[in-house]
Amino acid sequence: MIDGSALISAFGLLMDPLTLFLLVFGIVVGLVIGILPGLGPPIAIALALPFTFYMDTVPSMVLLLGIYSAAIYGGSISAIAVGIPGTGAAIATVLDGHNMFKSGRGGEALGFSLTGSIIGGLFSAVCLMLVAPLLADLAVKFGPREYLAISVFGLIVVVRVAGKSLSKGLVMGGLGIFLTTWGLDELNGTERYTFGSYHLYEGLPLVPFLVGLFAMSEVLIGAERATRKVDFSTDSLSVKLPGFKTLLRMKDVIMRSSLIGTIIGIIPGEGAAVGAFFAYSEAKRRSKEPEKYGTGIPEGILAPETANNATVGGALVPTLTLGVPGSPAAAVLLGALLIQGLTPGPKLFSEEPDLMYAIFLGLFLINILMMFIGLLAIRFAAQLIRVPTAIIVPTVLFLSFVGIYSVSNSFFNVGVMLGAGILGYVVRKLGYSIAPLSIGFVLGPILENSLRQSLTIADGSFVEFFSTPIGLTIYLALALTILWGPVTSRLRK
Amino acid sequence: MLTQRTANLVFVLFLIGACSYFAWVAEGFITSGLLASSGLPSKFFPQLLLALTGGCACIVGYLYLVKGGAGDDGETVFANGAEARRGILMLGVAVACYFIWRDFGFLPMAVFLGPASLIAMGVRKPAMYLIVLAITAVVTVVFTYGLKIQLI
Repeated sequence: MIDGSALISAFGLLMDPLTLFLLVFGIVVGLVIGILPGLGPPIAIALALPFTFYMDTVPSMVLLLGIYSAAIYGGSISAIAVGIPGTGAAIATVLDGHNMFKSGRGGEALGFSLTGSIIGGLFSAVCLMLVAPLLADLAVKFGPREYLAISVFGLIVVVRVAGKSLSKGLVMGGLGIFLTTWGLDELNGTERYTFGSYHLYEGLPLVPFLVGLFAMSEVLIGAERATRKVDFSTDSLSVKLPGFKTLLRMKDVIMRSSLIGTIIGIIPGEGAAVGAFFAYSEAKRRSKEPEKYGTGIPEGILAPETANNATVGGALVPTLTLGVPGSPAAAVLLGALLIQGLTPGPKLFSEEPDLMYAIFLGLFLINILMMFIGLLAIRFAAQLIRVPTAIIVPTVLFLSFVGIYSVSNSFFNVGVMLGAGILGYVVRKLGYSIAPLSIGFVLGPILENSLRQSLTIADGSFVEFFSTPIGLTIYLALALTILWGPVTSRLRK
Repeated sequence: MLTQRTANLVFVLFLIGACSYFAWVAEGFITSGLLASSGLPSKFFPQLLLALTGGCACIVGYLYLVKGGAGDDGETVFANGAEARRGILMLGVAVACYFIWRDFGFLPMAVFLGPASLIAMGVRKPAMYLIVLAITAVVTVVFTYGLKIQLI
């Protein structure tokens, strides 16, 4: 049921001039960061997090959501113009997008990318509005065993899809969770790994850790390739939006990609890149002319771009209703809610209905405004691809330092960020993915508390974990997720 | 050039050592008062995770020991010497900035960070140094006067 009064109140909150300004500002910042190769949505949100300390909840969430959505879309601009995806989510767009650009149809390619992104984003915003309250109603019935099941599900799925090696993913997931055990034990006050420092009583702080992991590690990797030059022609950068008839002809691709993106976004850990690739391969598989994919056709842009922006609303479903982030970017967003003193989960819907509706409506508004901002700013924004990495690197480093310090005037937090950055850099260089590390760090406290409470309830028996219908369903879904691929490939043989 | 195989094996050894050390530290967790006997001990969860992490690190190590098991054994950690130098020097700049800020104050760090980063990356154009210093100044002004953060 839609709460009418909360909806009206949320609309009022969104119409506040400062909130509207931050919404537009977020889109512009997200677009800029998305265009710059290497700086994806998690980094963009992480860099903006410290600023939200000084804001109310709705303006801060609207700012971060604007950045999130626009950064995913922005990645397609550099993918099309120079063949370098600005974000992982735009990798699938490179093939057809850049080929269209090279053949002088860049404006058309940018038009399809913008239109697909808007449609995917709007579709997932509607799904979020419809699905999230239902899931929240169900999640109210969740106890420690169900939370344990959903956290294990989220973590295992992240580990499975992040990187090539399952064992490396598990190492990172385990390390991320382990680091959350530092500080005072929440259940009995025991000091754990505090090493005599009172700073560690509350454990390692979330925001400096995530900023270090994403932004700092990217700074160090960016420094390595700082002298690489990027150049391109701006001749075909005027956006040409596709006509209604053209879109109607491609309605199947659009609808299928929107649905794929939203569903993949909902599954914890899958993320925008997986959604884009899945939608691209589905569009190709179902096409009457699959051989044309990769040569520069509109469907090859529309499918991944619709899907990757559709993952935004999808990823917010488990983040808001269960407190389990759907992607690394959503993990950072979850950190923003914690900064505001809010605990993501089903109770958020009954305790903060205005905020929930403001997020739903905000996401809707962001996608509509992104259309106009994209049309107006694309030509100028694309010039940013030329900004040398040598300027981006010190700027991001300085912003990370100052931003994290400003959160609590604490050098300890700056040290945590630096440590997390070095850890992130080292493990990325060694072929580990940082997604399980970040998700593990967010899920750690939920996992530990629910595991210990579950064991206490079950009197130490692990069998009892599977005794609740919801918990059992989640574990079965997990088993299905893990076994589906190997079983179907064996059956095909 | 450092291969993924060598680097990963060293990292695995470091991880196993770290897991053993932290598991040993966990043995010393003391819970006092009435809560001491309630529920699971505080060391349970960290030690469980350390066992999992250490076990998986052993598997990673085994895959690198068995030639071709990890898939990237022959690849190098850095593409070439220049990239390695830039990455490691930048790491040094980041660490130095932290200590300069802590021990000498914000301004020396702010003046040091941009130019030192550019030197680490091998940038020679004077204009870039001016641009980076200008950006540093703008960010400082925004935080100091816009957000009222006491940086200086």
